[in-house]
Amino acid sequence: MSVRLAVTVGAVSLANPVLAASGTFGYGLDLLEFCPPEALGAVVTKGLSPRPRRGNPTPRIVETAAGMINAIGLQNIGVDAFCREALPDLRARGATVVVNVFGERMEEYVEVIGRCERDDGIAAYELNVSCPNVTAGGMEFGHDPGQLETLTAMCRSATRRPLWVKLSPNAPDLVATARAAVEGGTEALTLINTVRAMAIDAEARRPVLANACGGLSGPAIKPIALRMVWEVHTALPAVPLVGIGGIETGRDVVEFLLAGASAVQVGTAIFRDPAAPLRIVAELERFCEAHDVEDVTDLVGGLQWR
Amino acid sequence: MIARRDLAVTVAERAELSPTCFRLVLETADEVAAVPGQFGMLACGGGLDPLLRRALSIAGVSRRGGVARVELMVKQVGPGTAALHALPTGTSLRFLAPLGNGFTLTPVEGARLGLVAGGIGLPPLLFAAERLASRNVAFDLLLGAATAAELLELDRCRAAVAAAGGELVVTTDDASAGEPGFVTTALERRLDGGRRYGRVLACGPNPMLAEVTRLARERGLAAELSLEEPMACGVGVCLGCVVETEDGRYVATCKEGPVFPVERLAARWWP
Repeated sequence: MSVRLAVTVGAVSLANPVLAASGTFGYGLDLLEFCPPEALGAVVTKGLSPRPRRGNPTPRIVETAAGMINAIGLQNIGVDAFCREALPDLRARGATVVVNVFGERMEEYVEVIGRCERDDGIAAYELNVSCPNVTAGGMEFGHDPGQLETLTAMCRSATRRPLWVKLSPNAPDLVATARAAVEGGTEALTLINTVRAMAIDAEARRPVLANACGGLSGPAIKPIALRMVWEVHTALPAVPLVGIGGIETGRDVVEFLLAGASAVQVGTAIFRDPAAPLRIVAELERFCEAHDVEDVTDLVGGLQWR
Repeated sequence: MIARRDLAVTVAERAELSPTCFRLVLETADEVAAVPGQFGMLACGGGLDPLLRRALSIAGVSRRGGVARVELMVKQVGPGTAALHALPTGTSLRFLAPLGNGFTLTPVEGARLGLVAGGIGLPPLLFAAERLASRNVAFDLLLGAATAAELLELDRCRAAVAAAGGELVVTTDDASAGEPGFVTTALERRLDGGRRYGRVLACGPNPMLAEVTRLARERGLAAELSLEEPMACGVGVCLGCVVETEDGRYVATCKEGPVFPVERLAARWWP
């Protein structure tokens, strides 16, 4: 039996539902010999700001039980360098590219999108309104439904390309922020970003990270991510969702699709294994074969309960 | 650039080197063309905890039959390295290697190379020492540890140094073997005594590298440092392992290092 793996997220068609998550796959060309970007549903770029960002002081990462905490601080080469240095190669390879957009002020999101609009080969924008590791912008916009709606509407009017908003699990009211992003004009929602967390060095009596707090990722957060995807899908069943949080296997993907995601992103697993996304696609295909699922889309929202 | 690959390896040997350090020999059917200073990311087993691979400097590569043998030295510092210590021989693992750059091993006219190793900083320098010995390039090896029991691979260090006609200098912090005090004090003493090093290659704890940096700057000495920073991916995408360079940028140790010329690092990188 051949399994149909192609999915759509709103207007975006993807060859399969497995994407590489922002901040774990560089600018799409860093791990070519392990995972060519065109073999994935899409690649989501490292968060891009209008100008290069230096990022946070070190230590920036710490491993925790079945997870890790990072406080990278959105170090990136800037949108212009991305468009000049990486985008042409991604386009030539036929990769589906989602640009992750970040700004400290709302105008900066529009500035990043404006620069990208000059180039072909971008399938969608993903607004990063949920980074827990920067003091300005980011999470502020993601936690306040009013601001999020305004930001999304500003970005919406800056492009005709599809817009995704990446939601924070740290917002006081997840469904309210999801609704606000949809009111602002987003086609789809990505969830979840990292969970704000902390590690402490008992010997030194100090936080491990220079930033004190950071974002927890990896299998430790998968149950939280599943719950949030399910809640948002239940509240807003017509809105396409991209699930993310601790995905390590094809079976994990199935769980996210059942909860209501149309596609998923693989992040921290890439740090463990640079070929993880390809392995996960193969595992998903095998799961479908073994369970007589002819089209992965049939799994989306297929959770049976009550 | 030598192609990096996610090698299927088996644990062929484990041997205790000190109360805290052990040697792991990995075997693989693949070719491994690593140079001294390069490292690899070794999975600690199959589970989700510990989640990440461990970055380990390569201490040597050889071939026996059709099989490549990669030698590592590991210090047990936490659950990941304890899991590695507990792996039975024959265990299959993944080792992503070789990664990063290496030390400059070309000889310098009229001067020896100075290899400076502190504690578990030895692996890349033992690899370098044995390469230099095989090419008959003269070098001194200065090897420091906290105690006599923590001096690693002394016989091999002695043999490599003897082959190229250099000096082996041993130091311990507690004066239980060799010269008392830090290995950088021994380095300074030799420089004061008129010893000239065409290039110093160093790996060890950060305070040691800071001291090598000070000596190199004060005396106009060429020096290369191999750094160790917390790493998640080893391939330049997580940006967890950055160091600050003299131009104020953060660069990934795994990709632009782990070996850096002293002048490339920001002065304020060292406390």
